[in-house]
Amino acid sequence: MRRRDFLLAAASLPVRAAGLGFALTDVTARAGIRFEHNSGAFGAKYLPETMGPGCAFLDYDGDGWLDILLVNGMDWPGHKRRRSTLQLYRNNRNGTFTDVTEQAGLAVEMYGMGVAVADYNNDGFPDVLVTAVGQNRLFQNTGKGHFIDVTEKAGLGGRTAFSMSAVWFDFDRDGHLDLFVCNYVKWAPEHDVFCSVDGKRKSYCTPEAYHGATCWLFHNRGNGTFEDVTAHSGVFDTSSKSLGVAMLDYDRDGWPDLLVTNDTQPNKLYRNRHDGTFEDVAVHADVAFSEDGRARAGMGIDSGDIDRSGVQSIAITNFDGEMMALYRPGADGVYKDIAFSSGVGPASLNSLGFGCVFFDADLDGNLDLFAANGHIDETARNMRGKIGYAQAPQLFLNNGRGVFRDVARQAGEGFATPKVARGAACGDFDNDGDLDLLVTTNQGPAYLYRNDVTNGNRSLRLHLRGTKSNRDAIGAVARISTPEGTESRVVKSGSSYLSQSELALTFGLGRRQRAERLIVEWPSGRVDEHGPLAAGVYQCEEGSKPVQSK
Amino acid sequence: MLAGLAVTLSAVAVYTAYTAVQMRGLRQLQAETIDRNRADSMLLLRIQNDLNLVNVALRDMLDGGEDYPLTAWQSQFKRLRVDLEDAVTREAQFRPALGPEGPRQYLSASTAQFWDALDRIFTLAQTDEAEARTRIRISLEARQAALTTAVARLLVENNDNEKQAAAQTRQIYARAERNVYLFLAAILVVLLANGLYLVQYNRRMFDQVAALSDRRSELAQQLISMQESTFRYISRELHDEFGQILTAIGAMLQRAGRRAQAVDAPLRTDLKEVQEIVQSTLDKVRTLSQALHPAVIEEAGLETALRQHLPVFEKQTGIHIDYESSGSGPVPDQTVAIHMYRVLQEALNNVARHSKSSRAAVRLRYSSDCVVLEVEDGGVGFDSATRTRGMGLVSMRERAELVHGRLDLINANGGGLLVRLTVPLALTETHA
Repeated sequence: MRRRDFLLAAASLPVRAAGLGFALTDVTARAGIRFEHNSGAFGAKYLPETMGPGCAFLDYDGDGWLDILLVNGMDWPGHKRRRSTLQLYRNNRNGTFTDVTEQAGLAVEMYGMGVAVADYNNDGFPDVLVTAVGQNRLFQNTGKGHFIDVTEKAGLGGRTAFSMSAVWFDFDRDGHLDLFVCNYVKWAPEHDVFCSVDGKRKSYCTPEAYHGATCWLFHNRGNGTFEDVTAHSGVFDTSSKSLGVAMLDYDRDGWPDLLVTNDTQPNKLYRNRHDGTFEDVAVHADVAFSEDGRARAGMGIDSGDIDRSGVQSIAITNFDGEMMALYRPGADGVYKDIAFSSGVGPASLNSLGFGCVFFDADLDGNLDLFAANGHIDETARNMRGKIGYAQAPQLFLNNGRGVFRDVARQAGEGFATPKVARGAACGDFDNDGDLDLLVTTNQGPAYLYRNDVTNGNRSLRLHLRGTKSNRDAIGAVARISTPEGTESRVVKSGSSYLSQSELALTFGLGRRQRAERLIVEWPSGRVDEHGPLAAGVYQCEEGSKPVQSK
Repeated sequence: MLAGLAVTLSAVAVYTAYTAVQMRGLRQLQAETIDRNRADSMLLLRIQNDLNLVNVALRDMLDGGEDYPLTAWQSQFKRLRVDLEDAVTREAQFRPALGPEGPRQYLSASTAQFWDALDRIFTLAQTDEAEARTRIRISLEARQAALTTAVARLLVENNDNEKQAAAQTRQIYARAERNVYLFLAAILVVLLANGLYLVQYNRRMFDQVAALSDRRSELAQQLISMQESTFRYISRELHDEFGQILTAIGAMLQRAGRRAQAVDAPLRTDLKEVQEIVQSTLDKVRTLSQALHPAVIEEAGLETALRQHLPVFEKQTGIHIDYESSGSGPVPDQTVAIHMYRVLQEALNNVARHSKSSRAAVRLRYSSDCVVLEVEDGGVGFDSATRTRGMGLVSMRERAELVHGRLDLINANGGGLLVRLTVPLALTETHA
């Protein structure tokens, strides 16, 4: 073989040859997903146009195969050009999906933003809350492949806002999932403010141009209705401009706390006081501001046990020039931002991050970090030089020793192609034991990346089901032990940005055949301990032994 | 010199002490005024930020943008109150030492009144929201504005304090700068005076050393001249007087011997013995006379004297001498020649005493302007052991000086010593 032929052949090899041990392949078209986000943009440069949309992995029909829900916007009143709705894709169990939006009753036109999925009525089928500019909507899953809009019936109707991320969690541990919704700013088309970069043409405003809006906390009464406890719980705050929210157990007391990211305002860390109220301890915990005392533009957020310590660290995406935050819990309830030393900070300095997800891409037992990036301003490059409107996503591989390395360019052909990305979620849609990625883009398509782990690593996947606890077991902590140490995962809704990952837990076992021990701490307070579990997928009900799926 | 050093050290000590005092003053000023003021300003800015957030919250309460009763804002105000009260308490600790007490008391009292009024309004809001809104509008907003104004005044006051502190700092730095220059100037003057004194002092010392050296050299040369003169005198006396006497005695003894030849054979034998003793004495006297002052120099010149002396030296010491004479030029006069001869004698003595060599070379080279005498041996060379030995070298150098010549002692390539005397013939006047 001539030298030139050899080089050409080498160049044409798939990038998986780089030896990461896994590859993320864009299977969007092959899967039959033909989604196009409609921001409604027609030139007026309305603020919400740059913000959406979100996405979710959910098994709406309970067949054990993850389906996909994509949130969509719509044309603005008076500028109607086309019809755009949410889109629900049913998994055909062969790598393809079928658009079942109409059959599922989700072909609803709304200016959707985010989505949070959970079985709020404990009937065994995931229900969907879609946040929106305007009225948020709660879709109850009938269990027959169909959703019904129960917004009004559930007591969530009659309120409009610029809602963003949301999270289902059981803050009072009564077994019924409650709902927290982030609201961004007070905005309405009729009160849109004129902002301009050049003094002539209108551009998208920054949040400073608008009043903040309080987030909402709804208590699930357990009868299908919700009670607004925003004021009583202490989370009422009209200065916040909230975009993302993550559930975590900040003080390790077994009660779920919330960390809310705010755009140009201090983040809020609401510590659960066990009596239905929360107190903001963000300043004390050192997550309210950046290290130089500035309120950053917090966007997406996720929490996860990145160092096998058993406690959750936090990742927050910020504006370009601000670096991502990677908070590691320290002593006395104070976090330390290790973004710089870990390598995540410098690598993200020129990115505007939105969705972010901790997931074990190579199943080595260390949580890696995915960040979906993309600017809000089409003219960003004109003003900021090397910072573009479309930006490459980042996949930070965790070496288990506190260092993260961006391997997006080696992760799969076209994976690092710049996008105007927003939402991001992970889930094992092809049931091969590893976690795949779903990414949405603003005014663009959604992307489905199939993960194929090639390094021989195995996984242990758990579908937890609460009995006394909420049925989805949201808030449950599972810990496994292997000779390499322990890994912990938390069942959680929300996180990322406007999006929802699957609720099932995935533990990377590396080359190990099994986990020596599994401990599950349920939201009800019950703790179950189980013996060795071989790699595979398990159904694990509260108080019962795990049952391996076939 | 010691006095100069003492003055310099004293100046340094005084200046160091002065600088330490200045630095302490500056540090104190910084700690008590600038740092404190800065911390106070930060806290006032925090208070101002809280008051702005209070204002935003009041605005939100009144604009009806949220579908919540007024009491919903209680948690938001509670957070603000905690932070505001904490900031006010801390600010009271950090307030500038010289600042007036009045504005802070006003701020503290007004803040307490504001929260009291707010609590009352929240209580009222539970029963009469409309009236509560009215009171917020007519009372709370005004109180909030007054608080903001009070904080702004304190910030202005802090700004003035900072300006004063900055001016004081500038003055201290200016004083220190001026004093540095003064100190440097004083140090320069002291160093200059000390340097000049040292130069003068050293110059006097060198002059004294030079004079002493000249005197020593003069004395040595006088000594050598006197020695030569004495030797010449004794030599002549020995040659002329004792030589004549002994010659006469010899002649008389010879005549007496001839007379006694026929009379008394034993007497003639005794006279013969006495005559031999006299002849021997006469030879010794002549040898001594020659040694004290080689008259041959005066009679036949240096080269002849050398040719006579060298065989004698060879015979006395057993050291073989290779003699070589080369070149052409003026012949040194007697005075110069006697010194060159003496140098030759001393150099050969050194060869015999120190060189441990069985051979030596003597070279006499003439040129138009100088004559060079070289004595080279193949021995152990010139080392520190021989350098300090005896007065020979001193004598040779002094003699070289006397004839305005130069004496070089050179380690020869073969390992021996080369003694070279170079005498300029144009300046051959001597004092001898």
